[in-house]
Amino acid sequence: MKYIFIILSILLLAVAPFFGQIEITLSKINDLASIDYKLFWDLRLPRVVVAFFTGALLGLSGLIFQSLFRNPMSTPFTLGVASGATLGTAFAIVFGLVSYIAFFGFAGALLTIVILFGITSRLKAFETSTLLLVGIALSFFYSAALMILFYISDETQSYEIVRFTMGSLDVVGFNSTTPIIVVALLLLILALNYKKDLKLLLTSYENAFLKGVEVKRVNTVLLISVSIAIGVAVSITGPIGFVGLIVPHILKAIYKVSADKLLVPTFFYSGIFLVLCDLISRNLGTNSDVPIGVVTSFLGGPFFIYLLVGRKRA
Amino acid sequence: MIQLTNFTNTILTDIDFYIEDGENLIILGSNGAGKSTLAKVLCGITNSDSLTIFNKKSMELSAKERAEFINYIPPKLEMFDEYISLREYLELSKLYSTLSIEDVLELLDLKALEHKPCISLSSGEQQLTMLASSILHNAKLTIFDEPTANLDPKKTLKVSKILLSDKIQNRIIITHDLNLAYKLGYKILYMENGKIEFFDNNRKFFEDSNLKKFFGSSLKRLDNYFVVNL
Repeated sequence: MKYIFIILSILLLAVAPFFGQIEITLSKINDLASIDYKLFWDLRLPRVVVAFFTGALLGLSGLIFQSLFRNPMSTPFTLGVASGATLGTAFAIVFGLVSYIAFFGFAGALLTIVILFGITSRLKAFETSTLLLVGIALSFFYSAALMILFYISDETQSYEIVRFTMGSLDVVGFNSTTPIIVVALLLLILALNYKKDLKLLLTSYENAFLKGVEVKRVNTVLLISVSIAIGVAVSITGPIGFVGLIVPHILKAIYKVSADKLLVPTFFYSGIFLVLCDLISRNLGTNSDVPIGVVTSFLGGPFFIYLLVGRKRA
Repeated sequence: MIQLTNFTNTILTDIDFYIEDGENLIILGSNGAGKSTLAKVLCGITNSDSLTIFNKKSMELSAKERAEFINYIPPKLEMFDEYISLREYLELSKLYSTLSIEDVLELLDLKALEHKPCISLSSGEQQLTMLASSILHNAKLTIFDEPTANLDPKKTLKVSKILLSDKIQNRIIITHDLNLAYKLGYKILYMENGKIEFFDNNRKFFEDSNLKKFFGSSLKRLDNYFVVNL
């Protein structure tokens, strides 16, 4: 069963660049003079690559947050980290700091983590329900702030912000894909490095402490790394919700293993999931691409509920 | 081996005692007396600068040193992840023991359960799992918080024998089981309302005058067995 999924996924990766509004002929992609060549190498393939690594990064971030914050609902999105990054990015757009967009996205994400950390250190332990509520409150606050930015921005800027908040995987050329690939791979390597500590944290914080894990340090390193990664991802693609929430859950329901063993599968299948969603968004036959966030939520939402209900019954 | 000087927090008042190298201890006391709170201070989960372990300030220990020196086995197994199996849990616990996981599974009759997720084990099985983990961890000093609660008589006997054996280096045992406390024969620390009321050798604690003082008429002695006076 697992192997069938892997083969199907690789097949999907292979065919994904060929579908879109304009058809590409396989025989022409190496013909330098053809439009197919440009379309394939400058647009389609980079787009699939960005979709894969963005999805992978979002999924892995979600899994790490769910493990550390002890709550199946906590992802960089539900806790407001992604909204922080969005606000930072919008800020950069409105104040003409577009060349520092990644930095502002990262700053917004990091600021949110600092606030969340400040609050958790006041609580006795990681009281996740409180944290989740704080995350929601922060998200509301950020959307209000985003409204103010809309209000003071001119028409082009508002349009840019709107398009940005819908999430988009439009990229041109391979150079623009580098940051997301690097960040996603670094996050995966880091997570794998902390695999054993992570597993001990999955038993209980006290047990991890007694077994010699520096709980605070591991938490800080992982959460800050995730925030940096999310900041970078959001500044490139805009906020794409739901991947980080559902893919880890779906895999947990299928694999039935502890979260530390899901690091690589989550990375891989979150990537595949976003490639699939993007493929759908590009091929719905509408005049322009349906925003990717719409597709992830439309596909993921019902499936997620189906899984939850199904598991309760079993 | 371990020393706590004038420790006070919201639950504990003026706790001051030390245990010499190679000495074991039993902590007794009524529900809510502060036994588990004290245990958490001793193992470092609750931070304190008045704790010295093996002649080192507890705050100055590295995470690794702490794990080598001291371990705490809580009354209930805490487990967040729903799929970590008994065997995986033991793999995580193997630190300083020369025994293999197989040996310990055999010793505690847990072989048949090894692939079951920890959260699906019964409370007694979880208790045995934690004992197994303490053997594999093999810290210099292990604090057991009610290691025989939730166990049937056969398992209580088995666990008691292991607690007495050299598979554990030094131990502090928190319990309500006076028979176990009497049989083990270790020094006794008795707590009430966050204070130490008694700290001396075993036989002295079990003198009739002390039993009357601490347990009143609720306890009856029959041939050096202690039963609740129902």
